[in-house]
Amino acid sequence: MFVGPRMKRNLVTITTGATLEEAARLLKAHRIHHLPVVGEGGRLEGILSDTDLRNATLEGTIGGPDGGDSGRSVTAGEIMTRDVVTLCPGDTLDDAMLVLTHERIGALPVVEGERLVGIVTKADVLSALVSSLDIGGIGARIEVVLPRDAKEVARLAGALGDLRAEVRSLVLAPHGADEYAAFVRVATIDVGSLKGRLREAGFRVPEIAEFLG
Amino acid sequence: MEYGTQATGGRVDPLPERDILDGFDRLIAANRLFGAELNPTVIKKSGKGAPFLLRPHPSRSRMLALWRDLFANRIPPQGLLDALSPEVLGLTHGDRLLLFGNDRILYDCHIARGEEAVGHLTLCFYREREPVFRFLPYPRRPGRRIVYIEGISLSAQSTGYASSLFRYYERLFHDLGFHRFRLKASLSVGKYYWAKEGFDCEDRKQYAVMRENLHALVLRLGLPVEDQEIRRLNHASMIASFRRDLAVPVYRNAEGYYAVARDDSYTEEVRFPLGKAFLLCSAPWDGFKVIYTGTPRRTGLVWSDRFLDHRTRQGHKESPRRLESLLAAIREDGMAESLIFLEPYIPGMPLLHAVHDPAYLEAFREAAARGDRQFAVRDCSISAGSYAAALLAAGGVMAGIDAVFSDRADNVFCAVRPPGHHAGRASAMGFCFVNNVAAGARYARSAYGVGRVYILDWDVHHGNGTQALFDEDPLTFFCSLHEHPSFCYPGTGRRLEKGAGAGKGTTLNIPLAPHAGDREMIEAFEREVAPSIEAFRPELILLSAGFDAHRDDPIAEIECTEDAYVHMTRRVLELADRHCEGRVVSVLEGGYRLESLVSSAIAHIRTLQGKEVPPCSSARG
Repeated sequence: MFVGPRMKRNLVTITTGATLEEAARLLKAHRIHHLPVVGEGGRLEGILSDTDLRNATLEGTIGGPDGGDSGRSVTAGEIMTRDVVTLCPGDTLDDAMLVLTHERIGALPVVEGERLVGIVTKADVLSALVSSLDIGGIGARIEVVLPRDAKEVARLAGALGDLRAEVRSLVLAPHGADEYAAFVRVATIDVGSLKGRLREAGFRVPEIAEFLG
Repeated sequence: MEYGTQATGGRVDPLPERDILDGFDRLIAANRLFGAELNPTVIKKSGKGAPFLLRPHPSRSRMLALWRDLFANRIPPQGLLDALSPEVLGLTHGDRLLLFGNDRILYDCHIARGEEAVGHLTLCFYREREPVFRFLPYPRRPGRRIVYIEGISLSAQSTGYASSLFRYYERLFHDLGFHRFRLKASLSVGKYYWAKEGFDCEDRKQYAVMRENLHALVLRLGLPVEDQEIRRLNHASMIASFRRDLAVPVYRNAEGYYAVARDDSYTEEVRFPLGKAFLLCSAPWDGFKVIYTGTPRRTGLVWSDRFLDHRTRQGHKESPRRLESLLAAIREDGMAESLIFLEPYIPGMPLLHAVHDPAYLEAFREAAARGDRQFAVRDCSISAGSYAAALLAAGGVMAGIDAVFSDRADNVFCAVRPPGHHAGRASAMGFCFVNNVAAGARYARSAYGVGRVYILDWDVHHGNGTQALFDEDPLTFFCSLHEHPSFCYPGTGRRLEKGAGAGKGTTLNIPLAPHAGDREMIEAFEREVAPSIEAFRPELILLSAGFDAHRDDPIAEIECTEDAYVHMTRRVLELADRHCEGRVVSVLEGGYRLESLVSSAIAHIRTLQGKEVPPCSSARG
């Protein structure tokens, strides 16, 4: 999955010269946490997050009525993060997930050259996960533990086909050193029978209790 | 009460056998105890006021055995005679006799005002034998004790004597351990009055003819009555109160009989409401009325063998055997005696279109008619009869709602299939095609003007279809207790789903962790469900009663027992008493292991009847 189709293209941005009041108003009005800061021709200059605003407030950069640099408004350009981690549309969602996790940040602007074209947030990644796993759809999940061998995966897929199971999603995850855990989402109410048939076919289908620990 | 010599606070202890035998001797000496030649089903006197065909009284051991069987030695013979003949509205019983038949005891008397005889009365005490064959293990019940009133006649009509006496008898027979009494009336005149009093046709075929005749009358007079309204009449009392708003002309003759058409003798035109006019002109019919003395609540049972016409593929969990087993168990258990059987009907399409897309229902009808083996998804296995059965199931819930609003029953259990709570506006899934409960809720609103309806769904699966249909409806509260969607079909019903738009806050989802049992279920009910019913103050409570959260049910991982169902049922009735005059219509959803389905549903129905159900958990470890 590439970033391009998943990123948000309707962007709310500000310019470096915008006041912080302006920035705060935009964040609140659009219920977002990040504002890309753009210069001429859509060039990405930096990113201003609600965290930046909060820190600026606490550090006293923004003066109250009786303190700070009275008379002069602080601009977005002064407190924004300049060193921005970005993606390009050809990067994948895996890249996005890894960067978001490692850098512990909330949003990644997407650029073509220097021009801002989109943004990917943690929320976008989550919703991609929800839809790719079909978590919100109709169905029930069953877990199958397989020896770590692609042929076993094929055998499972074949068995599900033979049983005419309506598979909504299938996730294969490493399980210990030499096993896979396959999470199969099936659209049938009679999950019990399906589990029984898979067990008859020699698959290890643990009871939910084993997962609950 | 004064009828037992050793009565203590309503309970009557067994008397010494000697007292009973002495009582027989005294009655024989006073010429008031006889043996009788009886036709086992019809009790006839040879003429008005003439004695039964008498013979010398039977042996003392036979009499004693019969007495013990019927009265458990809790009342002496003279005590029974005295208890049966109270003075009511100035009328007394004279020439009282006890007659011993082969398997029953009769009480016969004249009814007198002072010295003048104004009528007579015959009661028959009988005990129904239990069928020998039983195939499912659940608690044995003793045979039913029944009192038949075969003949009561009074020369003075409408004195209120019979009603007062029957109310007294109801209490008396209950205290004596009888389960019901059955009144029979052969009615040539006054059919409207009897129907209004709850008498129904003894012969169902005759009832069907009556309904057809009513239909014909409506057509002939060109009345604005829809077929649907006639189809849903399933008791003479409903005909009696039918369309009070329509005045219909009928014609009276000199003797006071009525006819629908004017002729030489029926000349005087009078106008009555439609139902009353029709009954006054209908042909004579034999009526009966059953009064249940052993159950505090009158519970209806919706059932039809046409539900079995929905045949699923071999090995499919939602098989006709589910209902067959349940019905067999109800019959075997003698429960059928105390249940009011209600017939479902095929509802008019507009009522169903309030819930489902016309195109969706049409596609379903075509699929069944074409002989398709499944509809929409593999779970939804069908046969040629599936479409009609699914419509009839929704009509079953409507018949149940009719019964609680016409006061024929206090509450109703609808033993219907296919189930309905997964079916959405245009989607069949999870064994469901037509959303029975949702159709019922909409029907209650359109037919009876019910405002707030509370739907409690305790099937182990989330009732996603019902929820979606009422998501934005602030007048229909949907509450579902189910296994957590991360582990169980259909994967919806998370806590965060609370309704939308105007209906925000009228959806309550309570997911239970896998392997939760009675304790968790009951705690969730008390902590969240009961307060939400209190706060919502419903005018009708509908239950989506699946019994697949039972620990023996293979379809999911919740481990409840009958105890949880009994507890929740009892509490729902209490809440219904407080808010909506006890109106509860319970609709079968899932439950796939025959034994646990049957035992749970029976415990549920018994509790609906207000009977005690012994706890099962301790006995089963």
